[in-house]
Amino acid sequence: MLNANSPLASGPSYSFATPPNQTSTNIKQHSFNPYTDNGGSTLGITGDDFAILAGDTRSTSGYNINTRYAPKVFKIGEDDGTGESAHIVLSVVGFAADGNALKERLNAIVKMYRYQHGKPMSVKACAQRLSTILYGKRFFPYYVHAILGGLDEEGKGALYSYDPVGSYEREQCRAAGAAASLIMPFLDNQVNFKNQYIPGSGEGHALEARKATPLPRAEVEQLVRDAFTSAVERHIEVGDGLQMLVVTKNGIEEIYDPLKKD
Amino acid sequence: MPGFDFSHHNRNAALHAQGVPLPKATSTGTTIVGCIFDGGVVIAADTRATSGPIVADKNCEKLHYIAPQIWCAGAGTAADTEFTTAIISSNLELHSLSTGRKPRVVTCMTMLKQHLFRYQGHIGAYLVVAGVDPTGVGLYTVHAHGSTDKLPYVTMGSGSLAAMSVFETQWKPKMTKDEAVKLASDAIQAGIFNDLGSGSNVDVCVITPEKTTLLRNYIKPNQREQKQRSYLFKRGTTAVLKEKVITREEISKYVTVQELPSDDDVVVVEKMDIDA
Amino acid sequence: MVRGRWHTYRHGSSQKWRSQSRNFNVIILPPDPSHHKSILHTDRARFRSMAITFAGGVILGADSRTTTGAYIANRVTDKLTRVSDTIWCCRSGSAADTQAVADIVSYHLGMYATMEGKQPTVGVAAGLFQEICYANKEQLSAGIIIAGHHPSHGGSVYSIPLGGSLHRQSYAIGGSGSTYIYGYCDSYWKENMSEADGIGFVKGALREAIKWDGSSGGVIRMVVLTDKGAKRLLFLPDQGYEGPGDK
Repeated sequence: MLNANSPLASGPSYSFATPPNQTSTNIKQHSFNPYTDNGGSTLGITGDDFAILAGDTRSTSGYNINTRYAPKVFKIGEDDGTGESAHIVLSVVGFAADGNALKERLNAIVKMYRYQHGKPMSVKACAQRLSTILYGKRFFPYYVHAILGGLDEEGKGALYSYDPVGSYEREQCRAAGAAASLIMPFLDNQVNFKNQYIPGSGEGHALEARKATPLPRAEVEQLVRDAFTSAVERHIEVGDGLQMLVVTKNGIEEIYDPLKKD
Repeated sequence: MPGFDFSHHNRNAALHAQGVPLPKATSTGTTIVGCIFDGGVVIAADTRATSGPIVADKNCEKLHYIAPQIWCAGAGTAADTEFTTAIISSNLELHSLSTGRKPRVVTCMTMLKQHLFRYQGHIGAYLVVAGVDPTGVGLYTVHAHGSTDKLPYVTMGSGSLAAMSVFETQWKPKMTKDEAVKLASDAIQAGIFNDLGSGSNVDVCVITPEKTTLLRNYIKPNQREQKQRSYLFKRGTTAVLKEKVITREEISKYVTVQELPSDDDVVVVEKMDIDA
Repeated sequence: MVRGRWHTYRHGSSQKWRSQSRNFNVIILPPDPSHHKSILHTDRARFRSMAITFAGGVILGADSRTTTGAYIANRVTDKLTRVSDTIWCCRSGSAADTQAVADIVSYHLGMYATMEGKQPTVGVAAGLFQEICYANKEQLSAGIIIAGHHPSHGGSVYSIPLGGSLHRQSYAIGGSGSTYIYGYCDSYWKENMSEADGIGFVKGALREAIKWDGSSGGVIRMVVLTDKGAKRLLFLPDQGYEGPGDK
């Protein structure tokens, strides 16, 4: 007669002498994982007098779609109470809960700066502050790849990209998130003209590389759309909608385009 | 049966122990369905193949031929579904020739389950088998471990839950052919839009005692829109670092060289988006 | 800046997609006072199935749920499997394993009947099952109840739990949900019941198991094996398991 508790789950136990061996093969270690990857992708490109931050609006977990509209790009420092309009944009991709917490924190800090100093925070200062926030959680990081955009003191487009623990750098363009490895080479080629040479400018190694020049806004918007429609074709976590925030001296413009939903 | 070669097993086990990850197989994180109707059976599939989160093939074929009146929809490891159905198709034809009878769906299902059971789930083929034979209509699911189910409507793959929700709310007995095709393609579309492992188009196969109809790309709800910019590069944009001319005499030692009718004829082997 | 230094905290959960049917079977064995009743159960697979003996033969019963993790892969599964005209079995454990074993036994019993020109006894069938289950016990996860009726031997019920041992019993229950009905069976069991009482006993036990165990459900299927052959019964949940009975 078999023991009433003989656990089939841990492999059969046949002997009367030996008790059921429950820890033989499949040891289950229970643990709590505070992070989730919510997929999605973001990208930022700057021009002479503007900066564009864009992101898809799909939120995923595993093979499921949580929602088809969860923005990943946000205005920072906007205050309906005082009528203060934003001039900084932030995009966050990775773990959405951390992304939201980070956005809320930066938003509060930028507003407080304005109330305390009576002037808006510069993009450069905001960029440094964001780095400090991220490094503050060095040993329990915000699991996000952030990109910050705006106009610098000279009115030129400014873009800063971050790793999850606060290392940052000002750049011309940057793709982040699930499809970053798909989009970034495209941007290198089309924004910075990497691997492009001027036809007939020389033979072999003497061939002259095509120099990067800031692109006009309309052209950048087209590149952003093409980058995302292409990423949607080949990455399952990207899709549903494309949200773009364009920072110019006249303020922040928001553009939404639908993307494929499969 | 098939001769699997295990000669690399020890080497690969050693590499794996050193932390080298296993190569990623193309898996069809799929939605496949099947549904019987009054006088026949219909099976359907999406057309996305993935490798992790990357779409490996946007328009692959997951409906496999077994016999003229028996078809199979496959989920799981792409290579396993293709080879398993091909082997069983071959053996079933030989069996049919030797018995002088038309192949039966149960026979096909039994051969599949015995083949898969022998490999204890290592062959990752999850199949929906459907067909019409002299005994009537047949519809089965076969899991990789070798278990089978016989049901009036079935779904499999990562999108099976989305697809099953459509069947469980809309299926009714004794549907017409058109109703069944609509229901099956709706179930696939539920998978396409709600399961990330499934996507692109709907393939359908309708089998009746009279004939089999394969409706490749029956619905195409995910056509890519026109790109905003043209990405044609001016000739000479790519640096040429080294040039080597191989003469026709030289190359014809290795391959057959064929003269084109005239210099102006351009032969397009495969048309790309960019050619349009 | 070293961005590459960041390592992700992604974790892969590998789910075992081995489908398992969960059932509850009751088998009723022929009256034989020398047989003490005993109950077998299989844990992990969480199937409910049973077989009992009664005055005229045996009754097999089972629920109809097959699950893959939390998903019900089949809600109308037929876990009562024919291996010869009047010898049937209740499968519990891995669906793939039990189907394979039943197919092999079915083949051998078919050969036996053709070669010997007579029907095999239930003991022969149970012996075949045991040989396969015992020889391959490391590979198999199968708990099987065998029940049948033989013209000269009457009805009998055998149970083969996981290790491959063989037990003849007057009734047998299997599956993790069987824990819920030990008391029920113990209280209501009577040797030599009538067919109607036997059906009532099996149905009552399965209803309790389905009620209390979340991993079993669906319809109740039964097979009554007597000298008249096999008779299938079906009881639907939306009719309170009252009917339709004979299909």
